[in-house]
Amino acid sequence: MNAIEINSLTKVYSSSFNKKQTMALQNFSLNVTEGTIFGLLGPNGAGKTTLIKLLLGIIFPTNGTAKILNYYIHEYKIKSRVGYLPENHKYPSYLKGKEVLDFYGKLSGMSGSSLKIKIDEMLELVNLSKWGKTKIKNYSKGMMQRLGLAQALLNDPDLIFLDEPTDGVDPIGRKEIRDILLNLKQRKKTIFLNSHLLSEVELLTDRVGILNKGKLIREGTVNELTQKKQEYKLSIEGENAEQIIKDFDNRISFVNSGNGYYNLKVSDSVQLNMVLDVLRNNGIIIKEMVQQKDSLEDIFISLIQESEKKELQ
Amino acid sequence: MKNILTITWYSLREALARKVFIAFIIISTLTVGLVTLILNVADIVKVVSSGYQGNYFQAFTTVEMMFISPVTLIGILMSIFSSASFIPVMLEKGNIDLLLSKPISREQLITGKFLGGVLVVLINIAVLIIGVWLAFSFKFSIWNFNFLLIIFTITFTFAILYSVIILFGILTKSSAPGMMIAYLIFLIVSPMLYTFEFKISGLLINSFLKGSIDFLYYFFPKTSEIMGKITMSLALGNGIDNYQPLLTSLGFLILTLGISIAIFRKKEF
Ligand SMILES: Nc1ncnc2c1ncn2[C@@H]1O[C@H](COP(=O)(O)OP(=O)(O)O)[C@@H](O)[C@H]1O
Ligand SMILES: [Mg+2]
Repeated sequence: MNAIEINSLTKVYSSSFNKKQTMALQNFSLNVTEGTIFGLLGPNGAGKTTLIKLLLGIIFPTNGTAKILNYYIHEYKIKSRVGYLPENHKYPSYLKGKEVLDFYGKLSGMSGSSLKIKIDEMLELVNLSKWGKTKIKNYSKGMMQRLGLAQALLNDPDLIFLDEPTDGVDPIGRKEIRDILLNLKQRKKTIFLNSHLLSEVELLTDRVGILNKGKLIREGTVNELTQKKQEYKLSIEGENAEQIIKDFDNRISFVNSGNGYYNLKVSDSVQLNMVLDVLRNNGIIIKEMVQQKDSLEDIFISLIQESEKKELQ
Repeated sequence: MKNILTITWYSLREALARKVFIAFIIISTLTVGLVTLILNVADIVKVVSSGYQGNYFQAFTTVEMMFISPVTLIGILMSIFSSASFIPVMLEKGNIDLLLSKPISREQLITGKFLGGVLVVLINIAVLIIGVWLAFSFKFSIWNFNFLLIIFTITFTFAILYSVIILFGILTKSSAPGMMIAYLIFLIVSPMLYTFEFKISGLLINSFLKGSIDFLYYFFPKTSEIMGKITMSLALGNGIDNYQPLLTSLGFLILTLGISIAIFRKKEF
């Protein structure tokens, strides 16, 4: 079953001020299966936040429809089963950590002792137990982000939207957040994650979408997107290795990357074998050979560049 | 309903953080102290009662009102000032997004904020008025319970002005415009229209001008009448002889709040 179903969603921001129109989202369609983590990637201004805000009824679509947890997005009551960590969240600064959670917990329909227990549990989860009675104006940015996460998870939501969740969090905090999210996934929760940090998404998500200028330009599993390519990392040893490699000049890209490692680019496996034959016939020992993968980052950059080119034509 | 109460409750919390309550408590304490002091030094009631052909009760209530009126006036001005930021703060980026992502409707959000602001003022005005009333009642052993009814007319006056503050808060996302318009209505428009309608209109011949004054008078809330004539009449135990100012002002309040909600429902954040 799908936790999110988006049907050609379009959002045009029009400013009455200078009559400028921004197409923030264009014919966006996507399904996210229940119990999976979906990562939406895109540069700043791609429309990631716009999409989440549409799904949560904070802004309204210009066109198209969408459902979350099988309810159309204008039905506000379904949001009792949803959690949200906004991009730049801001809580009333005079409140204490616990009061923040109490307030949003009550708004999510929780109450009484079950809310109290849940608040303590959440503070524990995000390592803020000692800070529950401190006013949040004394919190650091990382602490605010963790409190935000506690807020988003308080009502034990089935669907969780996180907008740049690791923004401003140190590496250890990031790892902790990652662990929390993986734990949620084990509990069959659906997570929708916005990020411009590719490494983040790569480590967590089942599927990713790449968004640029309001258009979804690619969608698939991380593995599908980061296909193998004809590039190998070789570790070789031999007396005149340098010279032999120089002989390949111009025909094959063979680059010394230091410490006895070389980067080899070939057109196919026939060419690869040819190179290996030459090396071995010259008494060179091949100690290690690894096929290189495109990182999500490479894919991301090349896809964005591709779509920009198309736009220019 | 539970949603509205949560918003209302946390509005009280916000007012507490903004030191609204402390400010009011200081004013109330000072006023009650001043009342006690003056009542012990001079028997003003006796002095005033000669002016009322010996009607001691009327003189007593009038003196009581002489103390309470300026303080409630300050109270209203302060309430406008302190409630003007309620809506703009709520609409700040990062705050409103999160509120709207909760299972609460936009109508509930505004209604909760409205009730919260009104409740803050109700509590503060009640403390002030009950304090002064107790000081007078003990001193003179006259227990005029009707006097306490003015808590509601004064809170109602604020509620009307607060609806204007909410409307302009939603429209402009800042506190200054709503605050200024509320002051304008309270201090200038309402007293002026009252004077025009009852003192000047009769002298006019031009029927268009007359009609315009009529329209404006009935359209705008009658805060000066509610705070003045009606409040005095209630304090004296004479009840309300004309409900028109209250009803038309209530109409204005409902209209303003209705428009606020309609606009807020369409607003994007
Ligand atoms: N309220 C708004 N009014 C007008 N334009 C907006 C508004 N919010 C966002 N935009 C524009 O829409 C585009 C997408 O923004 P956003 O969804 O915030 O991107 P992202 O989250 O991917 O960085 C940007 O060009 C941004 O300038
Ligand atoms: Mg964003």
